[in-house]
Amino acid sequence: MAVVIETKELLETIAASLVAGIGITVVFSIAIWGAARFVDLSVSERRLAAIGAAIVGITGLLATLAAAGFGLAVMMSE
Amino acid sequence: MSAEVILIIVVGTALVFDFTNGFHDTANVVATSISTRAASPQVAVAFAAILNFVGAFISISVAATVANEVVDAAVVTPTVVFAGLIGAIAWNLATWYFGLPSSSSHALIGGVVGSAIAASGFDAVLADGVVGKVLTPAVVAPLLAFLVAGISIGIVYRIVGKQRPGTVTRGYRFGQIVSGGMLALAHGTNDAQKTMGIITLALIANGSLPEGADPPFWVIFSAAAAIALGTYSGGWRIIRTTGTRIIKMDAAQGFSAQGAGAAVILSSTHFGFPLSTTHVINGGVMGAGAGKRLSAVRWGVAGNIMMAWLLTLPAAAAIGALTYGVTHIFGDGAAGPVLVSIVALALTAAAFVRRARQAPVPVS
Repeated sequence: MAVVIETKELLETIAASLVAGIGITVVFSIAIWGAARFVDLSVSERRLAAIGAAIVGITGLLATLAAAGFGLAVMMSE
Repeated sequence: MSAEVILIIVVGTALVFDFTNGFHDTANVVATSISTRAASPQVAVAFAAILNFVGAFISISVAATVANEVVDAAVVTPTVVFAGLIGAIAWNLATWYFGLPSSSSHALIGGVVGSAIAASGFDAVLADGVVGKVLTPAVVAPLLAFLVAGISIGIVYRIVGKQRPGTVTRGYRFGQIVSGGMLALAHGTNDAQKTMGIITLALIANGSLPEGADPPFWVIFSAAAAIALGTYSGGWRIIRTTGTRIIKMDAAQGFSAQGAGAAVILSSTHFGFPLSTTHVINGGVMGAGAGKRLSAVRWGVAGNIMMAWLLTLPAAAAIGALTYGVTHIFGDGAAGPVLVSIVALALTAAAFVRRARQAPVPVS
């Protein structure tokens, strides 16, 4: 049965899915957190903190775009 | 002459299956985006149709169709393929009629398995292939997507739960456009290939192409066009089930379900363990609901969907076997496939007319 089910591919798929699925949600959520905090902090005129939030948000967005690009590369390579 | 007629009928039926595949699976790509108002229904289906079309050109590695791994290739004749396609189309239309998302790939496999059994007996079925390529993925896909989406939504609420809802909702709606686009591309790449593979195999069996040939451009283009047209037509009944009837979704849940879906499908493609897009997306939607609150999932609707998944293989197989039997009554010529095609077209038209007379389906 182990041969029939292709255990190695199955375990790799589970591990990669967990890492990629949770990872992309986390980095995109960090991007949104940064954007939301930037708006709030800008309104309350805390410029330094707002810049910090913007940097966090942009980093999250770049990580998300990199993950999406990697996904596209995976698709193209198959 | 008879062989050419059967070939034309098989090619036409494969393209009709491809259309129903796109039509049936539109929900996988657009349902969550429409439900959370990330995109309007018309824009979402047009976007999905274009990306399905583009996706079909990304890869043409059709060395083996899934059907070849579950039945003995020696028993697969154009008539067996035709009967299998009719079984798959019939099941796709039946589940659409009742608004149930089910796997088009499993319907195709079931149809071909049934017609192969009718043609050559149970020895024609490769049991290892059925377990490894159909039954195991059918269990793994929804559970894995459920787990990924459920964990993801828990983390999402911890990260952005205390932020302004307006910015957060707009952000996740934007994210859904990107994750939906990835899903549409992956769907076009995976599913259009099944039709390309079937048409190519039929052309090879007929001697129109040499053994091991790649699909000609007209096959790639017509398969891409059929799945894109089907997607654009939009299976609104299934969109409504996936988008609004399983859970009442917010934008973060929509993104978690789609992000989980895209990640699981791409991972499975990369590691060679293909999973059904339908099972993945619906598992993701249930996970995104259960991750917020178990009672947020309408388990009755989820149960109906799972029942349809359980029935897909045997039901499509039964229709495939019946179709082969009816076709065989008229001998090995083209008369059987021609007659069955006419009856199938009439029944399909009747189903569409009956549904069209009913009230339009609200989708968001």
